[in-house]
Amino acid sequence: MAKREIDLSLVDVENREMRLGSIISWDGSAEELVDNSRYELRSRDKRKSLEGCSGKKEKGCRLCELNMPFNQQTMCTHSIVGCQVGNIPDCILIEHSPIGCSAIHARFNLGYKMGLARRGKKIENIQIFSTNLLENDMVFGASDKLRQTILDAHNRFSPKAIFISMSCSTAIIGEDIESVAQEMEEELEIPIIPRFCEGFRSKHWITGFDISQHGIMRQIVNKHPQKQEDLINIIALWGTDYFTEILKPLGLRVNYMIDMASFDELAQASEAAVTATFCHALGSYMATALENEYGVPQVDAGQPYGFKGTDDWLRSIAKIMGKEDIIEEYIKAEHERVLPKIEALRKKLSGIKGFVATGSSYAHGMISVIRELGIEVDGSIVFHHDPVYDSGKSEQDTLKELVDTYGNIDHFTVSKTQQFQFYNLLNRVNPDFIIIRHNGLAPLAAKIGIPAFAMGDEHFPVGYDGIIRVGEALIEILARKKFGQVLKRHVKLPYTDWWLSQEDPFILARNPGILDEVAEPQLLESLTEDASPEASIIKSA
Amino acid sequence: MTEVNQTKKSNTIVHPRYGCAIGAINTVAAIPRGIPIANCGPGCADKQYFMLSFSNGFQGAGYSGGGALPSTNVGENEIVFGGHKKLDDLIKSSLKIMDGDIYVVLTGCSIELIGDDVGAIVKEYQEKGYPVVHAEAAGFKGNNLTGHENVVKAIIDQYVGEYKGRKKKGLINLWFDVPYYHANWRGDSIELKRVLEGAGFKVNVLFGSESGGVSEWKEVPKAQFNLVVSPWVGLEIAKHLETKYKQPFLHVPVIPIGEEATTEFIRELVDFAGIDNKKAEAFISTEAERYYYFLEHFSEFFSEYWFGLPARFVTVGDAAYNLAITKFLTDQIGLIPTKQIITDNTPEKHRQNIQKLFHDISDEFPLDVEFIEDGYVIEEKVRNVDYGSSVPLILGSSWESDVAKEIKGLLIPISTPIVSEVVINRTYVGYHGALTLLEKIYSETVRG
Repeated sequence: MAKREIDLSLVDVENREMRLGSIISWDGSAEELVDNSRYELRSRDKRKSLEGCSGKKEKGCRLCELNMPFNQQTMCTHSIVGCQVGNIPDCILIEHSPIGCSAIHARFNLGYKMGLARRGKKIENIQIFSTNLLENDMVFGASDKLRQTILDAHNRFSPKAIFISMSCSTAIIGEDIESVAQEMEEELEIPIIPRFCEGFRSKHWITGFDISQHGIMRQIVNKHPQKQEDLINIIALWGTDYFTEILKPLGLRVNYMIDMASFDELAQASEAAVTATFCHALGSYMATALENEYGVPQVDAGQPYGFKGTDDWLRSIAKIMGKEDIIEEYIKAEHERVLPKIEALRKKLSGIKGFVATGSSYAHGMISVIRELGIEVDGSIVFHHDPVYDSGKSEQDTLKELVDTYGNIDHFTVSKTQQFQFYNLLNRVNPDFIIIRHNGLAPLAAKIGIPAFAMGDEHFPVGYDGIIRVGEALIEILARKKFGQVLKRHVKLPYTDWWLSQEDPFILARNPGILDEVAEPQLLESLTEDASPEASIIKSA
Repeated sequence: MTEVNQTKKSNTIVHPRYGCAIGAINTVAAIPRGIPIANCGPGCADKQYFMLSFSNGFQGAGYSGGGALPSTNVGENEIVFGGHKKLDDLIKSSLKIMDGDIYVVLTGCSIELIGDDVGAIVKEYQEKGYPVVHAEAAGFKGNNLTGHENVVKAIIDQYVGEYKGRKKKGLINLWFDVPYYHANWRGDSIELKRVLEGAGFKVNVLFGSESGGVSEWKEVPKAQFNLVVSPWVGLEIAKHLETKYKQPFLHVPVIPIGEEATTEFIRELVDFAGIDNKKAEAFISTEAERYYYFLEHFSEFFSEYWFGLPARFVTVGDAAYNLAITKFLTDQIGLIPTKQIITDNTPEKHRQNIQKLFHDISDEFPLDVEFIEDGYVIEEKVRNVDYGSSVPLILGSSWESDVAKEIKGLLIPISTPIVSEVVINRTYVGYHGALTLLEKIYSETVRG
């Protein structure tokens, strides 16, 4: 095991596909993915070459990907940066871009307001600024508009820090947001943090989390920390505060980051006694940076899902806190408390098959929880896969832990919210329900009669009670199958019969030539008709 | 956060109320079996979906929008080496995978900036007889309203094509709401079609559940005239069709709401088209009788509700809904317009005319109309209106929720974005819609 290098002296982050060898398109079993990932090896030889798919030594040690010629719309790193550093109540994010890049703000606002409510903070609208760039700006540059918007943000809200995010268009025309940020930082005397998150830069939106965390580490986190021995950083999103209750016996106060955290809450990250997260794929970069820079230890465990995951996670934190003496009793008492309810749920859910489609290591946790409930899982999707996390800790190898604890998953697919594949993937295993995050896939499941549990509150499955919460919710979700069956009987999918009849969701990658066997062109019908006297009776406007 | 006063005119926008030209993917998705193909970055189409469909009454994206939408998801490789191959692969595979009748490629900022010749790629498919169209949709060139006009013109030019034959008397092409952007567009379209057919016309509605898809689009050149029911969106289309097919157009800037306006609208149309008015008059009398049956019932509540009704109102929204709703509430219900803010970035050339249309609504109350796109400034203005002695009535977007709460006002969502209600089949226009609008406003009132 070796810690990954994170260089906070650099303004930018390396894309995750280069840093960790992350992939977005793969199909096989979970066991194969564990084997191919070679977590331990990658962890040891970070910068050394590993044999790549082509058999040559390749930088970035990629897993073999199935490149598809067909893609459907997804998300970008710019969106992720918006829903991270744009969700800090006393800081402002400026999106330096045409207005379309800001079109998702009303959706962000829904999550943000819900998050503020869950954390007991004042509920008010999100304030993300756009420089609203137009055609002339693409020709002549837009630094003055950026300066104006920085001043507007400062004058309107006196934020404690201002972030600037780069978009595709401003990156292509070469806007120097770093220089403007430096210059305005001197003028306004608050951190002004440029973020390079143009949508085209990384093949997966997940890099946007690293970009956001890197900026906070560099320019907000307190560089001269005063240790707070009872503080635990939980790198999270908008989830309900279940962690406080879970961690109470260890005497820990929770410091949630990044969403809804204030400037000061982010600054104190370096003062915490320990860092943990609900999802290593999301939190590992910052947890590792805090460990490397400020000696804040991170959990030596997977994630707090299911019995074993939660046990290991609690033991790891207890060990760091020097409270190993009390933890076993707590774990035992918790097992005894929840087990009767879980047994009852197992009976109710017996014979049910589930399918998970979420972000990568979160999916590993989610599958653990539903398998804990006795639900069969023989197929799932992760939206990307990291063969290793930044921590390099083998204890955090969540996919391996899933397979070791709960067994293999025969059909384990890496696919970035590609709805057309989802049809074939679901047909392959025919589940009774899906658990899903991100948009675009669940509507298809509904149309083929499969109800979806949209896991909007990502903390819902956390801990021992999380198993019960998920089980109870699933009983409600399964009832919705009625609605799906109605849709299935009456609604047509937008895909051709040819595609719907394909058994292999990756056939286009394995056999690209198949596309050249295109159907006969649907020739345009001629519109010409003879002129007739009727045309002349029409009055003119 | 501590707020500091500052409303200096600048480029800044917070709380956006429209998407960019790529938002016109929704225009294509609104055509039955129309398949949009986004030729842009990986997040562009997603963001427009969230603005115009999800955060706008949770409308859903239908057959080919949302997660089903093909996109090149342009990456670094395409920025450096060009995106021709990726687009070609995507069109080819879309034709094989997506079951549609027309495929429209919309090109966004990044591909526009690197200068790919998208037209040339699409032309190869067109020459082979595939129904593929391309439209420029760079976000820095325009918003989703002008994007809508561009996409329609592209479909006319590249798919519908030339036509020199006869016209069909009484057939109308309807250019009206912008699909998805107007959260009620589906219901509006049903009501306006009902009204036009009731009056004796046949209508190409072109979008939504009542459209016949591409076969209806092919009828466009045969229509007797184009009907633009909007202050400015659609005029470019009508002018284009006038030149292309020698088709006249009738511009009705105020969407009719309520019996008097809708009846006047029908009579204007019948007169313009020169069709027999018997059917129209019979329809009007049935509709009027029904309308006043309901209005009479409503009037009892309106006259003797003890617990307070709103009187002064502000509207915040696009020019079309803003104008129509302001007129209905002022002219038909007797509410007092206090501030009207148009948020759709109406092109300069139309602004004076629109202001005049507002001023013509009332001799009694001078109308205060402004064109503003920055939510911060808009919300400041809404906050500082004098609402008199009654509960403030704000007809706006969900961005006005904070200010509405602050001044203890009623917020009725009429403009993008809308996240406080689920819109399925609803209309506020015509005969039926007016009553629904009253139901909506006064349900909020009695809820308190």
